Amino acid sequence: MTEIPSAPPDSEPMVKVRGLTTVLNGKKIFDALDLDIPRGKVTAIMGPSGTGKTTLLKHITGQMRGDAGQVLVDGEDVRTLSREHLFDLRERIGYLFQNSALLTDFDVFENVAFPLRQHTTLPEVLIRNIVLTKLQAVGLRGAAALTPAELSGGMARRVALARAIVFDPMLILYDEPFVGLDPISLNQVLKLIRTLNETLGITSVLVAHELAAVQQVADHVYLIANGKVVAQGAPSTLANDGSPWTKQFFGGSPDGPVPFQYPAGDYAAALGLRRNA
Amino acid sequence: MNARIERNGVVSNALAQIGACALFGLTLLGAVPGSLRHFRETLRQVWFVGAMSLTIIMTCGLFVGMVLALQLYDVLSIFGGTSATGTVVAIAIYRELGPVVTALLFAGRAGTSITAEIGLMRATDQIDAMEMMAVDPLAYVAAPRFLAGIVAVPLLTVMFCTMGVLGGHLVGVSWLGIDNGTFWSNMTATVDVWKDIVDGVIVKSFVFGIVVTLIAVFQGYTTPPTSEGVAYATTRTVVASSIAILALDFVLTAFLV
Amino acid sequence: MTQRRSYAVGTGLFIVLGFAALVYLATQTTSVANTGQGASYTVDAQFANVGQLKPRAPVKVAGVRIGQVKSIELTPGHEEATVKLAIDEKYKGIPDDSVATIFTSGLLGDQYVGLSFGSSKKALDDGGHIALTKPAQQLEDMLGRFFGGGSAPDRIGGTYHVTGHFTNVGSLTPGATVKLAGVPIGSVGKVVLTNDKLDAVVTLDIDKRYDQIPDDSAAAVFTSGLIGSQYVAIQPGGSPDMLKDGDQVVLTQSALQLEDLIGKFLVNGSPSDNKNNAGSGQPSQSNPQQSNPPAPGKK
Repeated sequence: MTEIPSAPPDSEPMVKVRGLTTVLNGKKIFDALDLDIPRGKVTAIMGPSGTGKTTLLKHITGQMRGDAGQVLVDGEDVRTLSREHLFDLRERIGYLFQNSALLTDFDVFENVAFPLRQHTTLPEVLIRNIVLTKLQAVGLRGAAALTPAELSGGMARRVALARAIVFDPMLILYDEPFVGLDPISLNQVLKLIRTLNETLGITSVLVAHELAAVQQVADHVYLIANGKVVAQGAPSTLANDGSPWTKQFFGGSPDGPVPFQYPAGDYAAALGLRRNA
Repeated sequence: MNARIERNGVVSNALAQIGACALFGLTLLGAVPGSLRHFRETLRQVWFVGAMSLTIIMTCGLFVGMVLALQLYDVLSIFGGTSATGTVVAIAIYRELGPVVTALLFAGRAGTSITAEIGLMRATDQIDAMEMMAVDPLAYVAAPRFLAGIVAVPLLTVMFCTMGVLGGHLVGVSWLGIDNGTFWSNMTATVDVWKDIVDGVIVKSFVFGIVVTLIAVFQGYTTPPTSEGVAYATTRTVVASSIAILALDFVLTAFLV
Repeated sequence: MTQRRSYAVGTGLFIVLGFAALVYLATQTTSVANTGQGASYTVDAQFANVGQLKPRAPVKVAGVRIGQVKSIELTPGHEEATVKLAIDEKYKGIPDDSVATIFTSGLLGDQYVGLSFGSSKKALDDGGHIALTKPAQQLEDMLGRFFGGGSAPDRIGGTYHVTGHFTNVGSLTPGATVKLAGVPIGSVGKVVLTNDKLDAVVTLDIDKRYDQIPDDSAAAVFTSGLIGSQYVAIQPGGSPDMLKDGDQVVLTQSALQLEDLIGKFLVNGSPSDNKNNAGSGQPSQSNPQQSNPPAPGKK
């Protein structure tokens, strides 16, 4: 059920995406995408809004299946796995949702204990120990009796993180973990991501927009736009690698390879005017 | 499962919904064995869906019985047959009013609550989170509620009928002055266990329970995960449930009478 | 954890309550409440007509329920119904010459079987047979009896048939009463014309209990009251031989016609029956206008 990641950092990548193509509602989300997530490192996936970063995470977990290409997670092609094997794989992957996705019927303790209760027959004492340990790691052991409605955004996210690591997964996927957090909470989450990676060696994939935060924590950054990887590299070097994409993205200019105007017809014609020849 | 309103016309839209619901029902049946692992969750749902509806069901049952006795007394006194009030109250409630009104109230109270709850779980990614944690949401969320509805509706119907008969007794005997012995003896002489209680109360309420809960779970599970979607879904639950209940009532009555 | 326990308890309570209510409804408000606990013994009875009697209808003595109808079937080869009654064990000692009648509760109610005790020392037992029965009242019969006055049981122990020839039956119809000394002893079965089409042949169905009627008795068609319906009166003779099934009553007196009655008053004479001699009629000059002179009857 759980595997302690023991591979050295420079071995086979945890996730290998090869030639992934996906079409959704007529729109090409991914166009022969190639991607490597190195083991034991923090990889950030960035890009303009709507380029399918969250969708990519869903491909990794097998929630969505591409139309072509391969997505190999720890050597297994997610696209070909049966539902049962997929569930087995998911027990080794932790996922942090953007809105925490805590179960509203349960309190914090039960939320973190949920995966344990569902997949193991551990005695109550052991479950309690594990849950409290995880909650301690995220700094919320004292909040064990609160309900999700009573938690702030940052606290909820930390509880969700505690839940995600309850099985000591080999891979954690963070879907926009910094959105809507005040600077203090943001730093708390940042610290946790870094700690988890450094102490437990958990491969982390981060989908985020916050440049400053990403630069502090990521080892490797992918920039995805138009369904392809348009830039990649270490965060320190990426901002200056000369590509117009990185220039616009990291420079933050409103117009560039990602246009300001959504594609539309002729403006004059739309207003009923005629252009002078 | 696309619950968006298509512009294909009302009839084909309705047919598509019915078909999708039926297919969902089959999938759900497949998930029921898995839900037995989550037995406590099912029990919890029976509480929320069944026991919490008791107040409204019993109150309405009481009032229905009282009104029925009142109306029947008025009509039967034309023929001098007021001694049959108890009989007719019991038969009317066991065969028709009990199962139908209970199912309608259930759809309004518990059905919408199921739909809203599941819809919101979908909207806040809780369903996805469960999938991520390798917990089958059909087995954990949908099936327990489905089973809870099937268990709860017949029980609620029985409570409704009990309160209805007692309400009829209250009005008939205590207020309108029908003889107590006549009330009960006429009723026991005519009401048949097999025809009225088993066919009427149990069979009908069982069928209604399945249909109403299925519709509620289906609407919640397949709604677009937005607040607007959830609002539409709860409305559709009530409308679809009501039509289904009354149509099935006719079919069942035709079979059973 | 404590949450779960309270849910489980509450849910369990809900389910138990529901079942208890179901059991209450099923046993206290339906006909199950009426089925006797305990054993019962079965007796059977034949009825000419069971009316609306249904299985599980009550069997009552003096209005008290003592059992229920078990089954109703057609007796093979006969035009009658065999009804099996299941009587509670605690009601033993029902005389085996009791009469079983099909009654109706109230005006529009269901029908049930009432037993009225006879005087036999022998009691009914399991497999016993109730010989004396009265069938369900048909509406037409009831109305007929209401207007006809007096009633005779149809099939108490069965009937035997005798015939009589009358020159005029008046308004006598099948079903009219046959009386002896004013007591109903049977009813008119059939009224048909003879083969030579000059007389009416009336069949009288007389209860087998009354098998001591001398075969020289006379049968007269009388009227109840002044304008009532007509019935057949038997005036016993003195013969040592009794009427048996298939016999003919030789001495008959036909019905009185209103015109004759008036004529009698006006003409001061009574025409005689031209076919048979009545026991007490006075043969006298018949009114020339009368074509079919009946004789007055005095009783």
